[in-house]
Amino acid sequence: MIFNDIFGAWVAVFFTLAIFSFLYKDNPFYKIAEHAYIGISAGYWLSIGFWTIIQPNLLGRLWPSKEYSEESFWYSIYDFLSSIIPSIFPNGGIDKGHNMDLTYLIPLVLGIMMILSIFKQFNWMARWGIAYTVAIAAGLRAYGYLNSYILGQIKGTIVPLANTEYPIFHISEPSLLNNLLILLGTVTGLLYFFFSREQSGSFGKITRLGIYFLMISFGASFGFAVMGRISLLIGRFVSLIDYSSSQYHHATLWVFFLMIILLIYSAINDRSTSS
Amino acid sequence: MKSVLNLILKLSSIDRRWIFLIIGLSVFLPLFFPLGLPIRATDTTQIVYDAFDSLDPNSKVLLSCEYGPSTKPEIHPMVIAVLHQLFRNNHKVYVSCLWPDGQFMADEALRKVAPLYDKTYGEDYVILGYKPGNEAVIKGMVRDLRAIFSTDVKGKKVEDIPMMNKIFKFEDFDFLFSASAGFPGSIEWMQYATDNTDVKMSTGTTSIMVNDIMPFVVSKQIQGILAGMPGAAEYETLVGEPGIGTSGMDAQSLAHLVIVLFIIFGNIGYFIERNKRKRY
Repeated sequence: MIFNDIFGAWVAVFFTLAIFSFLYKDNPFYKIAEHAYIGISAGYWLSIGFWTIIQPNLLGRLWPSKEYSEESFWYSIYDFLSSIIPSIFPNGGIDKGHNMDLTYLIPLVLGIMMILSIFKQFNWMARWGIAYTVAIAAGLRAYGYLNSYILGQIKGTIVPLANTEYPIFHISEPSLLNNLLILLGTVTGLLYFFFSREQSGSFGKITRLGIYFLMISFGASFGFAVMGRISLLIGRFVSLIDYSSSQYHHATLWVFFLMIILLIYSAINDRSTSS
Repeated sequence: MKSVLNLILKLSSIDRRWIFLIIGLSVFLPLFFPLGLPIRATDTTQIVYDAFDSLDPNSKVLLSCEYGPSTKPEIHPMVIAVLHQLFRNNHKVYVSCLWPDGQFMADEALRKVAPLYDKTYGEDYVILGYKPGNEAVIKGMVRDLRAIFSTDVKGKKVEDIPMMNKIFKFEDFDFLFSASAGFPGSIEWMQYATDNTDVKMSTGTTSIMVNDIMPFVVSKQIQGILAGMPGAAEYETLVGEPGIGTSGMDAQSLAHLVIVLFIIFGNIGYFIERNKRKRY
């Protein structure tokens, strides 16, 4: 077992137990883990964003190695940047398999405009970049939602109610009763969100049925959420058990007992100062 | 009777830290002392298994990994079980990722499973890697895959990879399996790829996503679903490769039982207290 693996295990154990210690009460271990998590996450995503988006996809298309030429003016800018930051601009252009595409200057400019929003006098510039992003996202999603959520789901809801091939009841397979439930649930659920008429009288009774269907759905969501959280807890426990082995110098046991001792000491200290 | 009621009343006002401890123990103990509760595949899991089993040998399967370390306990066992089935049936596996962490997860799973079946990188499986852009990447793959993935994760040009010979766009794949823990994930694959092409897809998701995906499984826009850790355990059982999913199911079941008991006691305590208050 190499040092990095053992060190990584000790760090993982410390942070896992530090986060769990919040279940007892807010304490310095939890604070350390919380702050480290936020800082590391921000750094990680910045680094991932730069090395997987900006460097290969943007700079790699503006100065691809395929079309590198010492004589061209465009690549003389690149060579200048390369002399300052060679790790981002390696010698001879960026080799990510792309051809040169100068239309990528547009997102470069829009990106710079978004960053400039940190200066008050250039605040307005960020709107251009944001407007472009919002428009692209809206355009992309409109079709997807219409096709899959509306048309696809309407198609899925049109089910036979009097097909003799189907059994009257089956717990999970299509059956006449299940099809009737799909129809009832969809119609009454949709009617609940129909606000142009007061939900009273017989209409109110129908929408009430819709609420029951929605409640069953929320209950199922809650059940699945609990299941997901327990699964994550199992994952952490399995790791802690792995790291308690002699291979990792019993990392879990050492960190656990040290943390318990320090928390007990802090609790006794708090009690004596408050009294 | 009165002492029982008092006990329930006490339980309903117990310090939350005792509840955390009991839940923790109910998860922890079965990991050491397995109960061996039976695992039976649900219909939605069976559909996924049958969909893979019905593919012709040497089919080209796109495995998209949209999860990371935080959701590894739920999704990773599914990916491992699916890889066992794919390699056993001699399918070609192409891995793409819409999450940056996905490629590390896929790499870990492939390192574990591929050697067991003597599979070679570039001939039997390839990791195309992570591409940023969410649904735009999917749309791009449907139009022209090579414009999106010019190299694999190792930086090798796709035209130099033997198994990429006949792959130019999404429709050149025979099947898609999306191992998804959120956005972008299975829903985006369905919206922008499979709903617009003839390629079928299945999915494995975190428990919390199941309710969002289920309507698409019922409407057959998605062929089955592996639902959280139980889905992974069921799939491991079907494939015959028990792993962390299977070993975690005893803990999962016991923890659920304890939570249900607490909910029941909590509610009984609430009603007893309410009746008491009404009386006085």
